[in-house]
Amino acid sequence: MTDRLREIIDEFQGVPDEFRLEMLLERARQFPPLPERYQALREKGLGRVHECMAEVYFFPEVQDGAVRIHADIPGDAPTQRALVGILMDAYDGASPEAVAQIPHDLLNRLGVAKMLGMQRQRGFSGVVAQLQRGVAEAAR
Amino acid sequence: MPDYAHPDVLVSTDWVSHHLADKANVRLIESNEDLLLYATGHLHNAAHVDWTRDLQDPDVRDYISARQFEALCSRLGIREDTTVVFYGDKSNWWACYAFWTFKMFGHRDCRVMDGGRTKWVAEGRVLTTDVPEFESTNYGAAEPDPSIRAFRDDVMQHMRDGGQMIDVRSPQEYIGEVTHMPGYPNEGALRGGHIPGAGNVPWSRAANEDGTFKDRDALAAIYLEEQGLNPSDETVAYCRIGERSSHTWFVLKYLLGFKDVKNYDGSWTEWGNLVGAPIEKGEPDED
Repeated sequence: MTDRLREIIDEFQGVPDEFRLEMLLERARQFPPLPERYQALREKGLGRVHECMAEVYFFPEVQDGAVRIHADIPGDAPTQRALVGILMDAYDGASPEAVAQIPHDLLNRLGVAKMLGMQRQRGFSGVVAQLQRGVAEAAR
Repeated sequence: MPDYAHPDVLVSTDWVSHHLADKANVRLIESNEDLLLYATGHLHNAAHVDWTRDLQDPDVRDYISARQFEALCSRLGIREDTTVVFYGDKSNWWACYAFWTFKMFGHRDCRVMDGGRTKWVAEGRVLTTDVPEFESTNYGAAEPDPSIRAFRDDVMQHMRDGGQMIDVRSPQEYIGEVTHMPGYPNEGALRGGHIPGAGNVPWSRAANEDGTFKDRDALAAIYLEEQGLNPSDETVAYCRIGERSSHTWFVLKYLLGFKDVKNYDGSWTEWGNLVGAPIEKGEPDED
């Protein structure tokens, strides 16, 4: 786990349930726009995560062993924006190996698993798997 | 919307826009796939009902009890005669799911806003982040109505009787290849395929691009002509967890006027794992 992820988990664990929803909302609002250089690929439908019910697009980069994740997620999928936003933040500059080891129980550790429910957790595990594949390919 | 069998269960975005202030008689309920979407903006005076947090009891893998339903409605200021209008994201999947749950507990006047959230937003109508408050009521609910819900034993018997069944998942899920797709998230089922005898009509075929329901002729062409379903015969709809199939349940029962439609909410996450339950793989039969 990266130090940054540990900090984020501590932030979430430090507050009650309803406040965690607020923190997710805030992250959804702050989700960064997709860089211009990826717009053309996005419009062609490349980078799409097919497992997810929302339209999630990943464009991971690996430069000199450091990961940078770019993504595009529509505004009507704020939960995915928030959760993917956490990954983009927590793994910015990390190694591809670190991304491969994203904790499988991340939503539990953040204290949001119960409020999301089992079905939504499954959707997110598909997103994480896709991201890990994308980073592994970019690292080659 | 005069062509449908029961046109009164659908209301337009226009109708809703004229009833936003009628808190005394109308309760708008937003139900979404995305838990946070309501908080980013919703219709004026709309309450939020979340399928996971408000309608299900994870400890018994079932819906909430009649008493819990009474508590939910009382908290939302709903009386037995309130007009409850559901809307939401994803072409009203979850709105139909909440509608079905309210019907199960016997709420009389339930409606769906055609086109859901997508159409409202596309029309440039106003959203608010103000969360409305309601004067609480003392709601009395019926015990769950078994006539619109199928359990696994009912489905087993229905299958043996050769009854009408419609699988509303994607063709990949229906055929049974989905568990072979690399990296696909755990579907929660050990086997891929469908219940023997079930036809396959993905739920979304009943919806237009803008999230509204297709008109009656288009729906009849799919379910009556192409699938050969008989509106007088008992019909079971299922998907993975019963959410997409509640959309199809709504279409068959209210828009096409099927006499006896049940939603099998245990769906594939139950049947796909059930000891002794046969499955079929591959394309639907051509007969």
